Amino acid sequence: MRERITFIQKLGDSLDPAEVKVDRNVIKAPDVQAVREDRLSLALDELPAELQSLLNGLHELHIRWVSPIAYEAISPLLARLPPGFHVFFTPGNEIKATSTKPCETLAHVFGPQVSCSTPGDSFTALPNDRFSHSAAFQYFRPLDTLAPFIKYAESQLCSDKSCTDRLSALSSASTLDISYDTISHSLRITATWPYQRQKVHATARPNSRTEVGILSGDKPKTLEPHELGISGLLTVLGQDDKPSVAMFTFPSRHRDAESSFSAKFLSPTGLHPTLQLSLSSSKPPPGVAEDTCTPHAYLTLPNTIFPDKYQLSDPLFLASKNLTALRYVSSPIDLEAPDYVLKSWGSTVLLELSPPSAAAAATTAAGGGEWTVEIPLHLRYLAPSFTGYATVNAPYPAVFWACTAEEGTKFPNNPFEKVNLGYDGLFGPRTVFWHVEPKPVRGRELVNKVRVPVLDLSKAEWVNVGTAVAVLLGFLWVVWRLGGVVFGKTKKAAAEEKKKQ
Amino acid sequence: MTKPPTSPAPSLLTTFFDRPLPLYLTSAILRIIFLIYGLWQDANSPVKYTDIDYLVFTDAARFVAQGHSPYARETYRYTPVLAWLLLPTAKQTGNRYLDVALFSSGKILFALADLVAGWLLELILTRSKSLPPATARKFAAIWLLNPMVATISTRGSSEGLLGVLVTALLWAVLSGRVTLAGLLLGFSVHFKIYPFIYAPAIIWWMGRQPAASPPSSIASRALGFITLPRLQLTAVSLATFVMLNLSMYSSYGPEFLQHTYLHHVTRIDHRHNFSPYNSQLYLSSVFPDLSSSGLRIESVAFLPQLLLSCVFIPLALAKRDLAGAMLAQTFAFVSFNKVCTSQYFLWYMVLLPLYLPGSSFLENKKLGLAALGLWVLGQAGWLQQGYELEFLGNSTFLPGLWVASLVFFGVNCWILGVIIGDVGRR
Repeated sequence: MRERITFIQKLGDSLDPAEVKVDRNVIKAPDVQAVREDRLSLALDELPAELQSLLNGLHELHIRWVSPIAYEAISPLLARLPPGFHVFFTPGNEIKATSTKPCETLAHVFGPQVSCSTPGDSFTALPNDRFSHSAAFQYFRPLDTLAPFIKYAESQLCSDKSCTDRLSALSSASTLDISYDTISHSLRITATWPYQRQKVHATARPNSRTEVGILSGDKPKTLEPHELGISGLLTVLGQDDKPSVAMFTFPSRHRDAESSFSAKFLSPTGLHPTLQLSLSSSKPPPGVAEDTCTPHAYLTLPNTIFPDKYQLSDPLFLASKNLTALRYVSSPIDLEAPDYVLKSWGSTVLLELSPPSAAAAATTAAGGGEWTVEIPLHLRYLAPSFTGYATVNAPYPAVFWACTAEEGTKFPNNPFEKVNLGYDGLFGPRTVFWHVEPKPVRGRELVNKVRVPVLDLSKAEWVNVGTAVAVLLGFLWVVWRLGGVVFGKTKKAAAEEKKKQ
Repeated sequence: MTKPPTSPAPSLLTTFFDRPLPLYLTSAILRIIFLIYGLWQDANSPVKYTDIDYLVFTDAARFVAQGHSPYARETYRYTPVLAWLLLPTAKQTGNRYLDVALFSSGKILFALADLVAGWLLELILTRSKSLPPATARKFAAIWLLNPMVATISTRGSSEGLLGVLVTALLWAVLSGRVTLAGLLLGFSVHFKIYPFIYAPAIIWWMGRQPAASPPSSIASRALGFITLPRLQLTAVSLATFVMLNLSMYSSYGPEFLQHTYLHHVTRIDHRHNFSPYNSQLYLSSVFPDLSSSGLRIESVAFLPQLLLSCVFIPLALAKRDLAGAMLAQTFAFVSFNKVCTSQYFLWYMVLLPLYLPGSSFLENKKLGLAALGLWVLGQAGWLQQGYELEFLGNSTFLPGLWVASLVFFGVNCWILGVIIGDVGRR
């Protein structure tokens, strides 16, 4: 087992090395205002048997969970995904796409909200023609709590209180990543906690290597435009008796666009809700060549709400919504079926957004200021309820400027690298993602709720009988009229005949 | 019927119908205006004039042009023949105007089909109903100058093709062209299934001339029923239908069967529509195993629908007036169907001009206006509830939409009853 605990402060904040106390296996320092990231690498044989047999049989598995509660991202931990539970999976020799094991295990570990049958039925296939690094299948579910996972991990992994304490701290985490692939043959678990006052105190576990970093953003003079820098104090517990000063710079695929957006559904939502994104800036990220950058929105939509790729193909229609093009949509998407008969989890959409041109932006009061994008979506029929309504949770999309780095720029793995995010595989290898920070419209959650009208079961008692009676009456009336034609004269004809006589 | 007093000078309206040219020219111009307006709206507005179905057809045609299956286009639920007919829409020349014209060629085809159907209506009215040509054209104008019909075909919906197929079938039958009738019947059923309901009416009608001496025994009656023309029609239409399906199956395999036919049997998408069964279908699609409520009406929905449209109406009415019987059959089929959208109304609208001369709706203006008013109001009531659901997001499934669909169904049954009475008097 290897463990890495990192506190990352903002640029300019730093801790005096003299304040850090290292005593063999224990490190202590004053509280810092920082993001905390814990990374744990586990060998397969350290895992419960259930997980061992699953991981042994597959090729790769990446789980990315993002809290619905908005959090501020601190460099270099800038990669973002829509809030919820994302899975990227590539089958192996034993665990195939038709296997029920991945879904059973995921539901067991993360709770019943994660429901699926097999990757083949419930996951969507990712395009594998572009970059070999993207997984074969994708799955997503809105999931606002890790409580079932914490409970599972406590029962399977913990034998002492310090372990359960560490795990229960996950309930306030903003992200959790779990990655496994056959090449590294180890499970890597990474959790981050939001930027806030953090207690700096860690104890090394026996038989494990624990490294603690107390770092902050840095901008040395030698920093290249495509690089990020951090510096601070590193300590390997049980090995170092005082922290050593370190500084590194590295190229990063994920950057901060230094702008924000919010998302809401336009009212009334009806059965065809429009998701409106309000972006704070129409200008590309600072210091980037404008013509290499375009803003994008990446949506993961549960089955209940879906895009119509045909509707999103007309340039005039797209332009009227400030969209440039639909760059990717998972397929197939049934455009007609009700939610309750579909097995697939939903769909992913990558849209290129069309910011107002520089000329148009200049005429507005705040040049390059706020602008909006409208994404037309559709609701499926949902199962009836006793109130006549159901609720659909649509997570915020990830919004970023995708910019192409200069020819020859390489992005080797950096110590805080995040790959397999779903959208990264849809872009070229030299793409840099400048993330726009999601801000809730109100409250703290990055999830929009849509009220969906459904059949009201409390009024459904008479539907079967009422329909039957109506159809029967209609039928009998028509038969009666036909009988009149065949077996007798109609009144009118009879009357006419009478008249003639 | 009393003759109206002769007017002192021929009115503009009379001269309009005196010769064929003004009517057909106006119908054509009406459609050309709609077509050009549609092109303008499509090019300038994010809200499109063109029907989504037209994009489905033309996408499918493009797949076919590239050597793929038309079913590569999601929601293409038609015979490959339709995609073949629209192959010109997939052609690209590089000339912008020519390409727009080519892309619109399908709409032009549908609009032409409208005109031909109108012309066939005139033919049937003059030949079989012995109406003077000017009067026949007046009735054909109900179809030809109907803005709803012109809109539907110029928006690119293929229902107009059905109109020409059904009128051609009727014309062929009435003029004794049995082989042609068989071909048309087989093709129509292959194209859109529902025209199979006309088979029993036509077969029954073909024996309308009473034999010189009525046969006495049941056996000889049964034998007398089997006549050469009847056998010919049955054989030709069946052969056409089977051959078309076999050749499509050999080209496109099970996909063809699934999307063209089986889809309509197994479909569970029940997005709200005019059918009286709609709410019940929504309910039962969620609880398919629930049998506590006893017999479910939707599982026997085909019974009243098929009994009326394929057995009772043909037997009672076909020999009195084939066109009227076919109108009543279509009306019954659409009204009692498990899915019913406004495009289906076109199926019976094309037969209306053949029934209206001498009908109670025209004889008794109040009755006619009441029927039209109730038919429109029935839809309006439903549409209002549908609008609240679709655009405002109010849960109007129950009771609003359900009751509205039952009311509309009631109105339809009443109108059908009047039609039956009228045709029965002929």
